[in-house]
Amino acid sequence: MLDAYVTALGMVLDPYVLAVIVASAIYGLIVGCIPGLSATMATALLVPLTFFMPPVPAIAAIVTTSTMAIFSGDIPGCLLRIPGTPASAAYVDDSYQMTLRGEPEMALGICLWFSVIGGLFGTAVMMVASPAIADFALGFGSVEFFWIVMLGLGGAVFIGSSSPLKACIALLIGLMLAMVGMNNPAGQPRFTFESTEMLGGVSLIPMMVGMFACSEVMRHMISDGSAPQVAIKKMGPIFANMWRLTKQYPWQLVRGSALGTVVGIQPGSGADMAAWMSYAMSKRFSKTPEKFGTGHPEGLIEAGASNNSSLAGAWIPALVFGIPGDSITAIAIGVLMMKNMAPGPTIFVNNPENVYALFLVFVIANLLMLPLGWAIIKVASRVLQVPRKVLMPIILLFAIVGSYAINNSLFDVGLMLGFGVLAFVMEENGFPVAPVILGVVLGPLLEEYFINSMIKSDGSLIGLFNRPIAAVLAAITIGIMAWTIIAALRPTRAAPRPTPQDL
Amino acid sequence: MKFNDVFAGLALLVLSALVASAAWNLPNPAQQPLGPSAFPLILAGLLALCAVILATTGSRVVERGPLFTRADWARSAAPVLRLLLVPVAVIFYIAFAETLGFLIVAPLVLLALFLAGGVKPALAIALALASALAMHAIFYLGLGVQLPWGLLEPIRW
Repeated sequence: MLDAYVTALGMVLDPYVLAVIVASAIYGLIVGCIPGLSATMATALLVPLTFFMPPVPAIAAIVTTSTMAIFSGDIPGCLLRIPGTPASAAYVDDSYQMTLRGEPEMALGICLWFSVIGGLFGTAVMMVASPAIADFALGFGSVEFFWIVMLGLGGAVFIGSSSPLKACIALLIGLMLAMVGMNNPAGQPRFTFESTEMLGGVSLIPMMVGMFACSEVMRHMISDGSAPQVAIKKMGPIFANMWRLTKQYPWQLVRGSALGTVVGIQPGSGADMAAWMSYAMSKRFSKTPEKFGTGHPEGLIEAGASNNSSLAGAWIPALVFGIPGDSITAIAIGVLMMKNMAPGPTIFVNNPENVYALFLVFVIANLLMLPLGWAIIKVASRVLQVPRKVLMPIILLFAIVGSYAINNSLFDVGLMLGFGVLAFVMEENGFPVAPVILGVVLGPLLEEYFINSMIKSDGSLIGLFNRPIAAVLAAITIGIMAWTIIAALRPTRAAPRPTPQDL
Repeated sequence: MKFNDVFAGLALLVLSALVASAAWNLPNPAQQPLGPSAFPLILAGLLALCAVILATTGSRVVERGPLFTRADWARSAAPVLRLLLVPVAVIFYIAFAETLGFLIVAPLVLLALFLAGGVKPALAIALALASALAMHAIFYLGLGVQLPWGLLEPIRW
């Protein structure tokens, strides 16, 4: 293992890879900082470029961009009370109140410093846990994998979505889209409408670019689009009070990082869920819960550490089982497959140096966040004023060219538009978009595991339950689904959580 | 445009019927017990179930709410036209990229979107040309993507 790490370190310290890391860090920080441009969109727009890179820099670009964008989404939340990404929404009141009190440097310093620590914590857990889990999972057969995929999809639909029914419909649409093409156990062309372009199935890149970038441009078109005004012109020293706060709230820091990692590992719940849960937990156990929402650092520390640690946590099921924890890791899995590094327990056997390189990129990205994050905070008020009426058309053109670039095909551009319109209509009507992506990524796997398991058991459904690990996984999956359905049927429903849809 | 869930449910029900009917007749040359039609049929069944639930829960609010509501943005013409400009621009690109060439179509698409967003004309023209050239530099010169030249074929570089 040490040998593999040394090889991996050599791969990461390559000047080209380092240049990619720095460039995507700056890109992620800027995009995450601009309200209306989410971390998911930043990552999706980058995918066409990674298509032209070797595996390690491609993954490095995705990891770095998403890490940076989740942190810098805190900046507009703090300065304007507009969270840059949904993951920052939980604690936007506290950070904005600090800004109003004239302490923006304190709020942003907390976001930065505790994001870095949370991110490193999640990375450490990922480095230790994923090889061990992968080792354990090497003995899994198609039945176990069927239930793991089901657990992932069930988690995505039934945990943390404001309307499980609509999320379920979105997931089924995604699974149906995955049926298109010849990529099925029988090798038969399905739903291709006699078109040769469709034989290979729905291309992932135009789809992701369409759903996360094109739809965002459309949403911008119906808003007024003026750049918000920032009152703050001057920032004090950013790291001034951080050591004191770390010593004052160590328990909150550990609890936020740990809960964030666990929430990240749980498939289907991403950074935004982690932040909401940690904020609520912090308030619950605080000695001064009444101060929450008034510019109190405690919740900010816990939730800020939590959303960044969840990002690394989400990579554990993504790498070991190929199950994305959120839409960013769904995009990342698409990139891994494109680079012939299909995730799964054997990835540690087949490509150990690439996986260790990924771990090291996480460490580097989190460390790099300190200086680059400091720099973006210093220029934040100017970045926030970049007019979106100029950015959005350029993003649309980038989406067009990026979709075209993969196969030099205008058909893919049309596909991009189609998915953009689909995502726009879905979101307007309260259907979440992320489950569609999960469905498309996991659909072929789910079908393959299901058909193989059924063939092994001669078509008897008992075959899905009669192995011990499979039975446990099945019980958990069915439990989650039953719990949600029962909760939805209960007459007095609790007020819906104030989260935005998990992007 | 926000539709009542009844409409969404009915539309999804139609979709699941279409998927099921298309899946029903898929050939199964290997004579597997579960051929290529099995999985799509299961999905279509589940989607139909969800669609029915959605439509019935939606029908409960029909008496209280309208069948479809216009979102705030849909009440005036300008945002709707700006929204429609996105698909129009992309379709324009698809239709004319190969005959006119990227370096003509891309600035036109950008210009239209900039002007619709309220960017001043002189600035819009400059930005449209500059960003199209930058995109050309990244994808054509940098990554070797064969962006179409169209009319500009004689000056290809």
